[in-house]
Amino acid sequence: MSGASNGLLGLFDRLCEPFNGSNTIGNSRAFWVGAVVALAITFAYPLFVSAYQAGNTALFLLYGLLALSLSVVWGYAGVLSFGQVVFFGFAGYTFGIVSINLGSTLGTTLAIPVAVLVATAVAGLLGYFMFYGNVSGVFVAIITLVVTLVMQTFMAQTAGDKWTIGEVPLGGFNGMPGIPNLAVGVEGAALTFSGDTFYWLVLSTLVVVYFGLRVLVNSRFGYAMVAVREDEDRVEMLGYDIRKVKLGVFTLGGALAGFSGVLYASWGNYIDPSVYSLTFATMPVVWVTVGGRESLLGGLVATVAIEWFRQQLSVTGSEWAMVVVGVLLLTIVLALPEGIIPYVHRKAVGVLQQRGFVDPDRPATATEEAAE
Amino acid sequence: MVNATNLFFQFLDSFAFIVLSAIGLAIIFGMMDVINLAHGEFIMIGAYGTTLAANAGVPLPVAIAVGVAVTMVVGLILERTIIKRLYERPLDSMVATWAVGLALTQGARIVFGNSLSSIGVPFGAITYGEFSYSMYRVLLSGVAALVLVGAYLVFTRTEFGVRARATIQDADTAQAMGVETDRMYTATFVIGSALAGLTGALYAPTMAIVPGMGSSFLVEAFVAVVTGGSSVLLGTTLAGGTLGSINALFSNLYGTFMGKIALLFVAVLILRFLPGGLSGVVTDLRERMERESV
Amino acid sequence: MTDGRLGRREFLGSSALVAGTALAGCAGGSGGTTGGSASSSDTIKIGVLEDRSGNFALVGTPKYNASMLAIEEINANGGIDGKQIETFAPDPQSDNQRYKELTRRAIEQEQVDVLWAGYSSATRETIRPTIDRHDQLYFYTTQYEGGVCDHNTFAVGPTARQQLGMVLPYLVDEFGPRIYTIAADYNFGQLSADWVRVLADENDAEVIGEEFIPLSETSFGSTINRIQEADPDFVMSMLVGANHTSFYEQKASSGLDVPIGTSTAMAQGYEHRRLDPPAMANIYAGVNYMEEIPTERNTSNGGFVDRYFEMFPDAPYLNEEAQTNYFSIYMYKQAVEQAGTTNQEEVKAALESGISYPAPEAPEGSEIKLDPETHHVHHHMWAMRADGDHNVEAVDDRVIEEQFLSNTVDCDLTQEDEETQYTPQDYFEEAG
Repeated sequence: MSGASNGLLGLFDRLCEPFNGSNTIGNSRAFWVGAVVALAITFAYPLFVSAYQAGNTALFLLYGLLALSLSVVWGYAGVLSFGQVVFFGFAGYTFGIVSINLGSTLGTTLAIPVAVLVATAVAGLLGYFMFYGNVSGVFVAIITLVVTLVMQTFMAQTAGDKWTIGEVPLGGFNGMPGIPNLAVGVEGAALTFSGDTFYWLVLSTLVVVYFGLRVLVNSRFGYAMVAVREDEDRVEMLGYDIRKVKLGVFTLGGALAGFSGVLYASWGNYIDPSVYSLTFATMPVVWVTVGGRESLLGGLVATVAIEWFRQQLSVTGSEWAMVVVGVLLLTIVLALPEGIIPYVHRKAVGVLQQRGFVDPDRPATATEEAAE
Repeated sequence: MVNATNLFFQFLDSFAFIVLSAIGLAIIFGMMDVINLAHGEFIMIGAYGTTLAANAGVPLPVAIAVGVAVTMVVGLILERTIIKRLYERPLDSMVATWAVGLALTQGARIVFGNSLSSIGVPFGAITYGEFSYSMYRVLLSGVAALVLVGAYLVFTRTEFGVRARATIQDADTAQAMGVETDRMYTATFVIGSALAGLTGALYAPTMAIVPGMGSSFLVEAFVAVVTGGSSVLLGTTLAGGTLGSINALFSNLYGTFMGKIALLFVAVLILRFLPGGLSGVVTDLRERMERESV
Repeated sequence: MTDGRLGRREFLGSSALVAGTALAGCAGGSGGTTGGSASSSDTIKIGVLEDRSGNFALVGTPKYNASMLAIEEINANGGIDGKQIETFAPDPQSDNQRYKELTRRAIEQEQVDVLWAGYSSATRETIRPTIDRHDQLYFYTTQYEGGVCDHNTFAVGPTARQQLGMVLPYLVDEFGPRIYTIAADYNFGQLSADWVRVLADENDAEVIGEEFIPLSETSFGSTINRIQEADPDFVMSMLVGANHTSFYEQKASSGLDVPIGTSTAMAQGYEHRRLDPPAMANIYAGVNYMEEIPTERNTSNGGFVDRYFEMFPDAPYLNEEAQTNYFSIYMYKQAVEQAGTTNQEEVKAALESGISYPAPEAPEGSEIKLDPETHHVHHHMWAMRADGDHNVEAVDDRVIEEQFLSNTVDCDLTQEDEETQYTPQDYFEEAG
């Protein structure tokens, strides 16, 4: 344990300490140094690319937030949910309804917490319904999938004037246009986010959430989540109410997905029922599976990579796009079930152990540590 | 005023649709704990096989058999290569089969184009007064019932069926007793695929044949499986009956949209208040009756 | 748990991965068919965003094909004003999110001079805010519910009022005034049903029943029974999509043979070719174009149909929207040559000067006009009937002008820039 070998590095180590733990990969000093460098690059990114690129990447980043919501719910608590997009959509629509109805930038500011609250409430309700009804495992997955399909059918037929909340028509299949950009503050003294500033907002949110989740999953609650994932019965016998744990995580996931939905609605200034489509509902599962279910960073990286890749396939007009995505996903599930990032991490550790850079007795991951 | 004959036929139609949508998925899930998210695509393959054969001049019953056969082959290949590695991992099997489904749908589009010429619906109509109903769609309810009875007989009365159920209940013991468990798993999956293919084959004459056609069966399939409960065949039958009657009644009174909403609403109620599903209710009743008669 | 020695691999791992994906975003600039710069001064860049996979591939592919046909013909004949056309034509995969991303790319990165995009109204509404924000010249070519009064948008496909207005009066004359409406349960279907009521009122007819059917529905037994119970003189059908095609098959097998008027069936998804007779028997389509319309420009040797299938011999059908893409590209050519520049505002002004074009939908000797004030087209409409063997022939035709925006709403884009969509409910009592 080198600890505070010299003052500045020691200070740095202590700053990173709260974010470390056995439930996340990447706990060393150099990981954090690397992370700082990477963060600097990603923050500086809009300065070097066109507005279109920055805006496009911002979309991928807010999807990353959606991925994190599933990562914490599925990867850490073992609850496979196809319903993250339900909360995403509810928040997006609510944000649109409230902000357009209220009109001013103050209205937009108020719309943000209202939208996230609605998403959280929906998640809480659905979670209560499922977990306190003793629904678990694949049934949770199916129910969340069915809820998503129901929302799509329902929202698609909300066209026409009678489906109006306040002054805002839900728009049915055609969606709800005119959603304003995110803004914080009162008229005249407000900060509005669009273009580069929107990118920085999304990135900052992502960073804050990521760090927050790191703290959470490495805390006692985090251990409870992982324990629930690994062995529900034992956890129950130890006196935990697993329903509360699952409900708590699920609601948190709902809130995160909701915030992602707000960002999405203001990114495109538009939302429509396609956020409830089967394809979009499964994308978070794809992102998190490929990136590494039990790794927050993995989910993030995979989201950006996969979405960029899918967009490229679409641009080239290749008809093989979906086939490639399917095959890629299948390969990952079969060959690298833990996901790419944990796999890379593990391999790298193995290599460095052989080369003597790493103490061979020190386990690389929490799972390994638990197995000893 | 509800016309009783109309309602009856609509019920049969709905019952058939729910049961046939669900049966393949239910067998694979109920017996192997694998959620086959490519279920819709299996139905599509059955429909495509049947349509291609029928358009090539083959009579419809043979074309249906072709559709089923093709789906069985695809199911076999899938099981041997992919599914068998995922038996201990139900959530991963969901993701993997979803991936396969994606590839299959787009693959069908690349190979066969955006749509195939449909085959006409056989048998004509049953007329009664000012109304009429497609005889074929009504007959499908008979087919659905036959499928349920047939599956029941296979799984309870044949040696294969007993061995399959033994494997599913306790694979180690079954293996110790000489059952080839690998073969049992494969066979069960193939049967499930065949039934999904049969659904596609049977409904092909009444639908447009497009690569995404499988998705129109998914909601009913999943809802039926989830509300059916742990006893596969009993659950599917009860789900078909209960949800089918709700759907038919509300569609008749208020239109197809309300029919669908009512179906989903009742499913939600069942999920919340009957944790064992519909078949759980029956099993409980049966146990209670046995206890009281002792 | 920090240990300096562990660090290096994690350093590589984390920073490489995170930074790498950021750079990947940069690299996303390349790719696409023609690279990332604006059109040079001797080419014109046209963006064509049409679905070639996903739910709308069936109807989107012909739109893409016909666009390519027009562009090839124009290029072969010297281009527009001597400049060749280059295209940015990705596949949005019937995905509105993809449309949003690709539209932004087309405008901000590829800097197209003009954009054709989208099949469904939902797609149009998804991208219209982006289009309006950048004042991008945009052609929307699918038949739709009508009412878009937008400075940048030229909605040149037929509107519901034009299509239904062609077929409904004919059917009232032929069969009687009692109408039963079935429509897809979403914006287009509901708005079309509103128009049916307005038109019924204008033609002394009566809507005796209406049913809205979810887009995912494939079982029509109860719908058919309800139609039988209502016993209308004819049915107006605005069913949309592959799932709804089942209605026609099931109706035929139930022996329901009431005449059906439609704006959506046959012309877009060529059900009369895909379904066995007599599923589409006695169906009357009100359209501006189908492959079978009997104009010389369409059916003669070397006509539109011939040229299309020469370029696309494997195509199954030449559908309604394909023709709209085709003639609107030629209209654009006319406008650019008239304006003498590709500057989008000037081209829009040229388009508002009264362009007309000898499109395949118009009989020999006539042309169709692009209305300056509403950016819509006064189409030559046809009522096409399919018989028991699915042969299609024309039973009536005439020019129907765009009326809703011109007469009822008073949309005049030559005087005042707007970016709105109007609905009949706001203007007609009958529309409810």
